[in-house]
Amino acid sequence: MKRFSVKYTLLTYRLDQLWFPLAFWAFFVILTLLLNDQELNFNIARAYIGVAVPLIGGFMAAYAILDDPAIELRFATPIRAAQILFERTLLIFLIQGVCALAFILFALFIGVDFSALGDSLNLQLSWIVPTISMIALGTFGAILGAQTMIGSFLVGLVWIIEVIIRDAMAVNNWKYAYIFMGILNPEHPDLVSNQLALFAASAAFLFFTWLLLHKQERYI
Amino acid sequence: MIEITGLTKTYGSGNKSVNALNGVDLQINSGMFGLLGPNGAGKTTLMRILAGIVNPSSGSIRVNGHDLTTEAGKHAVKSMLGYLPQELGMYTELTAEQFVDYMAILKGLDDSRKRSQRVAEVLEMVGLREVAKRKIKGFSGGMKRRVGIAQALVNDPKMLIVDEPTAGLDPEERIRFRNLLVNLAADRIVLLSTHIVEDIGQTCRDLAVLAKGKILFRGSPAEMLKATEGHVWTLTMSGLEKPNHDLTVVSMLHLAEGTQYRLVGANVNGYSNAQPTQPGLEDGYVWLMKNSNQQVEFA
Repeated sequence: MKRFSVKYTLLTYRLDQLWFPLAFWAFFVILTLLLNDQELNFNIARAYIGVAVPLIGGFMAAYAILDDPAIELRFATPIRAAQILFERTLLIFLIQGVCALAFILFALFIGVDFSALGDSLNLQLSWIVPTISMIALGTFGAILGAQTMIGSFLVGLVWIIEVIIRDAMAVNNWKYAYIFMGILNPEHPDLVSNQLALFAASAAFLFFTWLLLHKQERYI
Repeated sequence: MIEITGLTKTYGSGNKSVNALNGVDLQINSGMFGLLGPNGAGKTTLMRILAGIVNPSSGSIRVNGHDLTTEAGKHAVKSMLGYLPQELGMYTELTAEQFVDYMAILKGLDDSRKRSQRVAEVLEMVGLREVAKRKIKGFSGGMKRRVGIAQALVNDPKMLIVDEPTAGLDPEERIRFRNLLVNLAADRIVLLSTHIVEDIGQTCRDLAVLAKGKILFRGSPAEMLKATEGHVWTLTMSGLEKPNHDLTVVSMLHLAEGTQYRLVGANVNGYSNAQPTQPGLEDGYVWLMKNSNQQVEFA
């Protein structure tokens, strides 16, 4: 039994969670067009794909599971915790992915040179890794605290701290937890270890979220 | 069959802990079973435990042989469950048909042709066929409740749990709802939780009264009435005089000769004109509640 429907997953998706990332996307596009400076355009592009996209993804993920009006009915059906987790977080990742890829295409179209971020794989990893990290963190925070606010607070806190102390994070053992290394320090020799560490941390966050989701009474 | 033994549920810990259920033992067979109790008695907690949403603190619960304290047991029970929670949240942007269809998919009805047939059947059953294509956000409270019962029935459940289903419904809708539940109880377990005594009296052969997390009474409505015999009176008093505080006023009626009180209590010493009266289920419930500080052994 599949117990899953793409149609209803989309129909029950909150529309503000679609407009919110689209509004940010449009804002960055307009900003780029208004400033129209080759060097600035690169900085705006990497700020959007590597910093803004993960933040928006994290915030949306904090609301993904608990902000469901029919959560009690859903819990009373035989669907697995893993399905509840991935149905919502995957959709958020896909929306953020579409936004990031659309922005990269737009940036390439107006002549932005992404070669400073490495090859095309590194360019994609520069937004994929931080976005997955923030989505996992947001989901975990919300489920751990059984409140959406806690997830978004945690995402905001980690994001702002890392943005502020980004240079310090690149030079000690915090480099493994440095979310923005791929976009801000792409030449760092430990970039691959950093990305692997962030993937592992995200997997751990999602695993603990899955475990906690079995305690359904905490969320109704 | 549902078998509950020594069930307890405690929320929180230390000084702030609350015992929602305190050593509940129940055996529930097929048919309509009523769970009656005041607000905060533990009814919703018990319903949620039976729906596999809340974990018990201790005790055992088996539904048709499946142990609800294990993940596998919960999964098996949820596969044969229809559940209508007290606070019914829905996707109001969906139409009634879409919502019930979606719940059917989540419950594992994969065959789209059979599913669509079943969705139409249950919407017909609850009288919503005509408005099936309308968005839920435009529905009245009663219509939303009916969508709720339709989604609960869509998988033809062996166990149907309805928590305070008639709250907020007008009298006509309440009657329709009660009749629907009685019809459904012919071939399955239907658990009706409510604080409205009338709903139980009209529908259930078997009931339990829960207060402060404990079962105060277990038996039939007739047995509950029998246990209340000799504890109900009518008394007419004139002027500003009122019955003493040992007696609970169930109802009062202003007449030309004074006020007529319907009273429940242990005795009416001091009121020579009090007339013994045949108890109703509401009187039985009030009598039980008066004695709820100590376990009352009836049936």
